[in-house]
Amino acid sequence: MSALKRIETSRVPIGEIGGGYTDVIIQAVLGDKYDLGPDANFLNHQSIRKILGADIVGARVTGPPVEMVGIHEEWGTETFRDYWGATHTQPSDATVQLVDPIANSPEELESWRPPDVSNFDSSHISRWKNTTDFFVLATLNAGFDLGYELLGFERFMMWTIQAREIMKQYYEKLIEANLALALMSVEAGADGILIADDLAFNTGTFVDPDYLRSDYFPILKDMVTEIKKQGLPVFFHSDGDLKNIIPDLIDCGIDVLQSCDPNANMDIPALKKEFGQDLAFMGNIDVDLLANGKVNEVENTTRNLIHDARSGGGFILGTSNVVASYCQPENLKAMYAVAHKELK
Amino acid sequence: MSSDSIQQAIIMGNVASISVDVNQLLNEGVNSQKILDEQLLPGMAIVGERFKHNEMFLPQVLMSAQAMQTAIDILKPHLAGNSEARQRNTVIIGTVKGDMHDIGKNLVRIMLIGAGFEVVDLGVNVPAQRFVDESLKHEAGIVCLSALLSSTMNNMKEVVQVFRNHADLKDTKILIGGAPVSREFSHSIGADGYAPTAPAAVERVQQFCGL
Repeated sequence: MSALKRIETSRVPIGEIGGGYTDVIIQAVLGDKYDLGPDANFLNHQSIRKILGADIVGARVTGPPVEMVGIHEEWGTETFRDYWGATHTQPSDATVQLVDPIANSPEELESWRPPDVSNFDSSHISRWKNTTDFFVLATLNAGFDLGYELLGFERFMMWTIQAREIMKQYYEKLIEANLALALMSVEAGADGILIADDLAFNTGTFVDPDYLRSDYFPILKDMVTEIKKQGLPVFFHSDGDLKNIIPDLIDCGIDVLQSCDPNANMDIPALKKEFGQDLAFMGNIDVDLLANGKVNEVENTTRNLIHDARSGGGFILGTSNVVASYCQPENLKAMYAVAHKELK
Repeated sequence: MSSDSIQQAIIMGNVASISVDVNQLLNEGVNSQKILDEQLLPGMAIVGERFKHNEMFLPQVLMSAQAMQTAIDILKPHLAGNSEARQRNTVIIGTVKGDMHDIGKNLVRIMLIGAGFEVVDLGVNVPAQRFVDESLKHEAGIVCLSALLSSTMNNMKEVVQVFRNHADLKDTKILIGGAPVSREFSHSIGADGYAPTAPAAVERVQQFCGL
């Protein structure tokens, strides 16, 4: 919390959002200590953070198990329906793919309703809070990233023009459900809330910033305001180049911007100079550097970043996304080790 | 009707008006290739430029591409029987095996269609042999490969090698793109080019075609 209050600590805080580390990485780092028992997921995620010296754990309120509904014709993988009503599949060694969206027309979307989340399970959050010292960052979504995940990216983008009012209602419905999840996370003991909501690619926002200002940010601001009434800081994750909309995110009440991908020209030292009075930053280590770089390159990059970004607090070190399965464990360890050596 | 109205319909992504306008010009006896070259392609070139400079955004580009596709669908039968019509260059595009990401690839596809190319989209998780088969089938001289992951970009190398070792396809121009890909990587695997953005991909493909 000191970093968020612009207090420079002797060591920069470090960690990842969401699950943080894929199972392949956890196995590689833990080696013989990798647990195979019934509580393996919790124990392994706890162990890797302790070994690396991470300060943060991501956790989320979980819904009911997904429903298997068939086999994908092309890939031969099981298809499953999530609690939002969309059908997905996950081919081996690949990300989840949308098979059937929640709506095939704006009219269908208008009548779509999000699930009742009141019976969802927040025990993961309370367990991390009650049994560890990590900063528990509860993860949820808002209207954009989840919005196109459930509709398909191109359909979503087209409807922002073709069905503008219905899309605004859609954002409101998604945000209402996610706000309920946020309040459940607070109740369960979360220390902070992370809104994961990709809005941009490396050259700028997907949609016109003026559209976001008129149709989306006011709804997002209401969500952030309600969360902050509970006294928790709000983190915001988006990939890509967000510089044009950082003032808008600040106006929405966001406390910490996470990702800050150097490939999108989002370097934290420069961002701090321009926006550091109003916003803290997290991330900035390129995932591809961890995948393809040499250990000494990772050490130098991490050291330089700490040197350039730590002054005055407001900086949390981490990757610009999460630690992907193709990252090199030696590089990951090197990054964390530097953070623990570079003391003020 | 002025040519500006067709260009405007492309820029505004107005599918309804472009159908009317293109059909009207055909009925007036205007050459189909002339409509494509002098009105549709310049309209999409403006869209590409505006997108490149963040003056237009993805939804607008998608609408423009839809209008372009509508116009091309109307023109196609006329172009086929038109002795003045140029052969449209065919581009094969896909995300390489092991990778399911398609946003960047789709954006390139849309902008290539907008630039007047015939595009065959093979989707995601595409094995090397499928790029070969489809290139032969469509007699395509250009292949665009996409990958988002460091772990899958190495599969681009396999695709390039298969093409270089194929007697009929060794001269195929291969363009690569995606977040982890770089110019250096492109050189290292023997590809013909690298594009960091969708508009840059269109420019490189146009260069391949001498346009």
